[in-house]
Amino acid sequence: MRSGWIAAALALASASAAAQDRVMVRPEPGTPVVAAEVLIAVGPVDEAAGKEGITYLTARSVTAPILPVLDSLEARLTVEQQKDAVSFTVIAAPDTWEEATRTLLVALFRDPVDSVATVRQRTATVAELAAREGSPADALAREVDAAVFGKEHPWGRPAVGTAASVRRLRPGEVDAFLRSGFTADRAVVAIVGPVQRGAGEALAAFMEPGPLRLPEIDPPSPADEPVRQNYQAITAWVSATYPFSTDADEEAIRMLARLALERVSFGVQRPQVYDASAEVVRYAGGGELRMQLVVPPGEAEDWANRLAQAVSEYADEPLSDPIFAERLRRFRGERLLELEGPEDRARTLARRMMLGLSTSALTDAEALTPARLRAAARALRDPIVVYLGPFVEEESGN
Amino acid sequence: MLSFLLALGLAAADSVPAPRPAAAPAVVVHRQPALPIVALRLSVLADDPAGYAGAGHLMQHLHLPRLQDRAARVGGRVQAERTSDAVVYTVVGPASELGYLAETLQATLAAPAAGTPEMLSALAALNEERGAEREVAASYIRGALRARLFPQDLSAAGTEASAARLSVARLGDVWGAMYRPDRVSIVAVGDVEIEGVRRAFRDVAAPATRPLEAFADTVRALAADTPQATRAWIARGWSASELDPAAVTVATRLIRTQLRRRMTRSAVEVEHWWTHDGQAVALVVATPDSLVRVARSSADAALATVAGALDDRAVRDAAAGVRREMLFFARTPERMAEVLGAFADRGLGPDAAQRFFAAVEEVTADDVRAVLAALGENGVVAVDVPAQRLRRPS
Repeated sequence: MRSGWIAAALALASASAAAQDRVMVRPEPGTPVVAAEVLIAVGPVDEAAGKEGITYLTARSVTAPILPVLDSLEARLTVEQQKDAVSFTVIAAPDTWEEATRTLLVALFRDPVDSVATVRQRTATVAELAAREGSPADALAREVDAAVFGKEHPWGRPAVGTAASVRRLRPGEVDAFLRSGFTADRAVVAIVGPVQRGAGEALAAFMEPGPLRLPEIDPPSPADEPVRQNYQAITAWVSATYPFSTDADEEAIRMLARLALERVSFGVQRPQVYDASAEVVRYAGGGELRMQLVVPPGEAEDWANRLAQAVSEYADEPLSDPIFAERLRRFRGERLLELEGPEDRARTLARRMMLGLSTSALTDAEALTPARLRAAARALRDPIVVYLGPFVEEESGN
Repeated sequence: MLSFLLALGLAAADSVPAPRPAAAPAVVVHRQPALPIVALRLSVLADDPAGYAGAGHLMQHLHLPRLQDRAARVGGRVQAERTSDAVVYTVVGPASELGYLAETLQATLAAPAAGTPEMLSALAALNEERGAEREVAASYIRGALRARLFPQDLSAAGTEASAARLSVARLGDVWGAMYRPDRVSIVAVGDVEIEGVRRAFRDVAAPATRPLEAFADTVRALAADTPQATRAWIARGWSASELDPAAVTVATRLIRTQLRRRMTRSAVEVEHWWTHDGQAVALVVATPDSLVRVARSSADAALATVAGALDDRAVRDAAAGVRREMLFFARTPERMAEVLGAFADRGLGPDAAQRFFAAVEEVTADDVRAVLAALGENGVVAVDVPAQRLRRPS
């Protein structure tokens, strides 16, 4: 049956140019494996009330039955739910990547959902989400999402749903969601590895003719005051999120994030910082720089100020050329190592395709200047701050 | 076409070494122009001097902080590893920093300058590593098996007696007993050319040293220890030193596949151990206490079971699986350097990895039968660790 579907798909070789534009190939002689990223623009914004997490459950359910096939091909599949899309990454040897990727595309766009697999995946997902819900990192992510986008916004809640919402989903609903949400006109595919430039033609047959269809997203309603959420722990979490618009200088913001993070990370001068992290995420309609610190509860507000100051200082004066060159030397290396694996490059390309950004270069870190860095810092608005920790005593005035 | 595509991964390397002076390091370059980064792997083929087991790894602990600091300046990353064959450092960073990264690595070819605090910290780290090897069943049982199969191959972390000697020894003399420029091997993978790598490593010199007094390395018998084990652990090992490595690898995979199918409630690992000391097939099973007897008999019958179910198709599938797994593992420059370097460190020549990769595809069912028969004739080494039980209240 499966091979029948593949044959039928191959017969649709007259895919339109627009569909082929949604399959990008980056030939890399010398890279030992092929990574194929299938990114489908479906997520929380498509989920009806009470059906939170149905995208992620659908993605897992539809791919579970093909795992033995992929195993037999020594191909690895990773499924990740993002705010605006669900990502499927296949890594396979040069002789099996095409079969592995076609198997995935048949499962996504041709096969119905297997109800037994759905029930199994639902049980597994509920268990995983229930375990995660107790972790402070997860709690912070939930609070920050709600603060940045607003509690009513689809992106203001966990993209994978909650244990309670996923537990309620039924196989029939998952099957219906697969048909309505996981459609080829929402998909882009990026292939990276030792392949010919025309390697994507066979896969283009799976893509619907016409341009990429992206769901409309309501503007966010961010919190206008810092959010303080009580959480029983011996440490406090501080998060500062800087939303940015579509035309923001993403590469400069990435560098800014690294530099600012260095100023607040653990060190001889800052032994009280247990952990510090920064992440730059780009999604449809813009993106965000999210910085987080783990510090003693009594110092949370002080560290929020220091975090904001670490970012804003780069807006005041451009760095001198020698200092900037030294910092850029480090940042450029770190950026390249982020793209070390072929799957990292495939993911980057697919996301850039989906957002309509240039795919000619994976990073333009080399072209950064002190002026670009400063301009990026100046363009950032005030951060949305969230505190998570044991604040009961402070609030009650004890 | 299929074999051509596979070959792109491991064989189309710019790795043909030119003749070199006897004292110069061997250089292998595998060009991967996909991204302007390079992984440089420097290894010094060396056994620790007699009585100074753990010396190579101690030097690594002493060198590492400075290496990490230097690599971080260009956004790079460092890894240090003491294998059975060599003292290995790998640094990954921008290809445009080749000269800087090479200079960073070359600093490891001299004994580290260490003060008392650094020395104490490094010795403490070695002590912890020695303890960790005995603490948990998974590493304990492999260590015990290794000690039986390769008695001369001591732990990378050394012994308590050698640590005491190292704490007072002149590190320059210890290093001098291990190091010679012709034992150095360089593997570069990434967007670099062989001439550039050769230039970057042209100044490799031997230090002046005094002879080192030899001592015997003794290590406490592992059987005297009790590792943590919530399940029963069963290990079987077969020496495979004289056998064809490609056929041994395929046989190892067939044993793994067969046992995993039969022992679904146990964790089964079957590994091909291959160092300059020789080869072995190691089988490690972790199983619930209630299944120990069955698991033990399955482990003891492993070779016969595989031999009984052998056919050409199973061998072909296993060989293809091995090759794909190699490609998957080697998908980043750092990992590719690790694979190429590990083969070079076994003293098999600079293109050993590519030859092995090609040889795996040629393995036949008869080759695997011959390996299974030879393993059986060589005899099995067995180590068992019982599951710990809570005492019932009286």
